[in-house]
Amino acid sequence: MTTADVLMLALGAVAVGAAAAVVTTRQIVRAGLWLVVALGSLAGLYLVLSAELVAWVQVLIYVGAVVVLLLFAVMLTRAPIGVSEDLDRSRWPGLLIGGGAGLGLAALLIDAYQWSTVDLADGAGAEEVGAAIFRSWVLPFEVLSVLLLAALVGAIVISRPDVSARVGR
Amino acid sequence: MNGFTIATPAQVLAIDVRLPDLDYAAMAPMLVLFGAACLGVLVDAFAPRQSRHTIQFALSFIALTVALLAVIREARVGSRELTADVALAIDGPTLFLQGTLAVLGIVALLLVGERALEKGGPFVSQAAIPVGSEADRRQAREEGATEVFPLTLFALSGMMLFVAANDLLTMFVALEVFSLPLYLLCALARRRRLVSQEAALKYFLLGAFASAFFIFGMALLYGFAGTVSFGGIHDAALLATTSPLLLFTGLAMVAVGLLFKIAAVPFHVWTPDVYQGAPTSVTAFMAACTKVAAFGGLLRVLYVAFDRARWDIEPVIGTIAILTMLVGAILAVTQTDIKRLLAYSSIANAGYLLVGALAFSKEGLSSAMFYLAAYGFTVIAAFAVITLVRDDDGEATHLSRWAGLGREAPLVAGVFTFLMLAFAGIPLTSGFTSKFAVFGAALGVGEAWPVALVIVGVVTSMILAFPYLRVVVMMWLSEPAEQSPTVAIPGAFTSAALMVGVLATLLLGVFPSPVLDLADRAAEFIR
Repeated sequence: MTTADVLMLALGAVAVGAAAAVVTTRQIVRAGLWLVVALGSLAGLYLVLSAELVAWVQVLIYVGAVVVLLLFAVMLTRAPIGVSEDLDRSRWPGLLIGGGAGLGLAALLIDAYQWSTVDLADGAGAEEVGAAIFRSWVLPFEVLSVLLLAALVGAIVISRPDVSARVGR
Repeated sequence: MNGFTIATPAQVLAIDVRLPDLDYAAMAPMLVLFGAACLGVLVDAFAPRQSRHTIQFALSFIALTVALLAVIREARVGSRELTADVALAIDGPTLFLQGTLAVLGIVALLLVGERALEKGGPFVSQAAIPVGSEADRRQAREEGATEVFPLTLFALSGMMLFVAANDLLTMFVALEVFSLPLYLLCALARRRRLVSQEAALKYFLLGAFASAFFIFGMALLYGFAGTVSFGGIHDAALLATTSPLLLFTGLAMVAVGLLFKIAAVPFHVWTPDVYQGAPTSVTAFMAACTKVAAFGGLLRVLYVAFDRARWDIEPVIGTIAILTMLVGAILAVTQTDIKRLLAYSSIANAGYLLVGALAFSKEGLSSAMFYLAAYGFTVIAAFAVITLVRDDDGEATHLSRWAGLGREAPLVAGVFTFLMLAFAGIPLTSGFTSKFAVFGAALGVGEAWPVALVIVGVVTSMILAFPYLRVVVMMWLSEPAEQSPTVAIPGAFTSAALMVGVLATLLLGVFPSPVLDLADRAAEFIR
């Protein structure tokens, strides 16, 4: 057991435990905060795998943006923040689907890799990722900006204030 | 802590970031459409309100024509290559399907740009206004959004990229580029706002779900092959040091994402609701172009990346094809709304296309491509007719309202009869030639699965003929209802679209050989 192994196991346990807490807690804000822990420990896993850029992107986007968005949605709407009975559903369908997907995936990955080991090549730093994006993946990367533009136009079509009505008044 | 050292300028220069070879001529169709769509966004921001519609329509029309010319030029040069560091494959199927997309896109654009049928066009300007509110009543009287043109162009450019994509990552990006504008366009119908919003939301949620499946499958395939390019997956399937379970699970999940887009059973539940709720011109666009793009992608995945796993996937996708044909045909019989009827017919047609795809031969590929082109023209023309039959509440899509239409408007009813016969696969229409080509290709393989598929295909074609002929009988032989809808006089755009669709349906039925030959010559993927 190297230090990396111990760290992997510990962070993995934290991630799984926090993820379980996300879906079992009855308070929606606590679920959001547990999500921070789960996603954060996932970022830690990436760091142990020496993929530091991916780790920071994980922190920035998931912990930073997604969770904050989630908490904002709770705060800005009039959704009840405390325990609310009418939001509870029976648990077994979720348990069945979540458990089934988790176990199935675990079985799949165990079957695929068994005990094969992979060297931690330092090939996932910012430098390599950047080179890959601008060398092999330059076309999809540029097209993504088009996708963002389309999404922007869409957001305007959905939600712009009624310009003509204001002019007319 | 190697991750935290800051590179000195000399080191930065030492990193050799070379762009891959980009064949701009081969990418021109997509680049033109991307550029025109971006220009369209600017036009919407700066052009005066009253001239926006004209400018946008002209811009989109010119862009599509230029894209078509670029495709034709590339096809004449006869280029067969991988470009942009194997992210794009420019080969026969790519060029044939891109050309098909450009032509069908132009025809669909004519319907999208039509404003003679309804004051302000078939779209509203804001999608998310609550139905029944004061603002909603006001926007029903106002001019519609002109953003539909850039959105259509974005979707079309994504589709062109999708049929050319040679790895899963590029394919996923293209999938999102063409899906996102479609979700939005669905929500913009001027009449029946609630159904339209419901359609968009359903399509969006289920589409996001399907995308998630696709990307998860992509991760598993990367785990299997160590690459996401189709050629790499093909090679890895040959060597296969790891368990093939990962390959099959990955393929299954990627297939879920693609089968959702082509509306195969059991991933079809969105189709009737979305086809019914979306503005009819957008439905026509989706039924023709999305089908071409999604099938082009599916064909490439099956033929290029997974041809070695053919024996394993044939039973699974074969079962899906049988279910698709049966469910589409049987549920089409029970429909009372013409748009839902065409939606179920579109599902059944996805099944017939899968029959061609599962032949896994050159003939199978070329017949499927021919089918896509032929079906696209017919379906656009059929939806163009639907935009014409109207009453005070907009389009009268309930079948009972179509009773006796033959007396009221013999020409329109005659055209629609011809299109229904084409769907039913009567000889001298493109529906017959394309079904004949697909079934012939499957029989030519001479194995158990393709033959079984053809038998189901023929049986379901007969079932499916019933709802089509019922519409025909209703139009010509039934007594008109008390308040029968009027048939609007089509504007120039709709007339043109209708004419192109009907002529193509007729010509591809009577003289199919030039296009069949073209598809045949094009039917070879490169790896």
